[in-house]
Amino acid sequence: MPKQQINKKNNIGDIEQWAIDGDKKYPKDKYYCPTRDIFQARLTGFLEGLRKKLTDDNRAFLLTAIVGEIGNNSFDHNLGKWLGAPGVCFGWESNNCLIILADRGQGVLTTIKKVRPKTNTNQEALRTAFTKVLSGRFPERRGNGLKFVRQVAQTNNIEISFYSGNALCFINNNEFTIKPAAKDVPGTLAIIKF
Amino acid sequence: MKIELKKFGQLLISRPDGKEAWLAAKAYTLSDLDDSEKIEVDFNGVLVLTPSWADEFLTPLLGTYPQRVSFLPSTNQTVNSSLEIISK
Repeated sequence: MPKQQINKKNNIGDIEQWAIDGDKKYPKDKYYCPTRDIFQARLTGFLEGLRKKLTDDNRAFLLTAIVGEIGNNSFDHNLGKWLGAPGVCFGWESNNCLIILADRGQGVLTTIKKVRPKTNTNQEALRTAFTKVLSGRFPERRGNGLKFVRQVAQTNNIEISFYSGNALCFINNNEFTIKPAAKDVPGTLAIIKF
Repeated sequence: MKIELKKFGQLLISRPDGKEAWLAAKAYTLSDLDDSEKIEVDFNGVLVLTPSWADEFLTPLLGTYPQRVSFLPSTNQTVNSSLEIISK
């Protein structure tokens, strides 16, 4: 599948801008999921559309699982602590094989730092989130969702750019890299190309 | 006893849903279990399983009934990947 650049003139680009600027540029209502059940409903529609587009059902299921894990993480770790508008923005362009998810939550560093106080940078926090089974909601036993996301992406030709703070986690078949980001995202932003 | 996970939904994704499913299963399904009866978990009809949901349902199931739970084979890759993750 061709991997397209985000066209900032398309509406889905508003989600990325909202992740960076917050309420200054509110995405269209169709992308906004203020509660988990609305996100789940959009996810169901997403899967239905994806199954019609892709010839491989398993690929559609895997993409839905990835999106489900990332989106539900936003609710799991930010309920009651949203820094901006509550919930996630979730949009996709099937023709461009592009999915974008974002939240205006606390960010990964704040979450990880609660259980690993010596974590000082966004890059360290992302590395922990994607490689360690560590619950950000101690004492609950959690922490395996992003490991799953990474594993599925790396074994199924799915590219993920996951931003939080000033750091980026980039994943594809050949690469897993944590590096400084060109954009500053207070919560999280995931751009998935498939 | 066979637990058909599709009866909890086709998209088994979030932790709250997994937790609720476990509580419901304890109250209405597993309450009929005999003392030494084996439990088979059937993934047929499940379209998407995530480790988050699995961790809230299958992990306590395995912990509550040690040595009595088996998973029926599935060709669904989200099922197999999720089971692999929660088993680590």
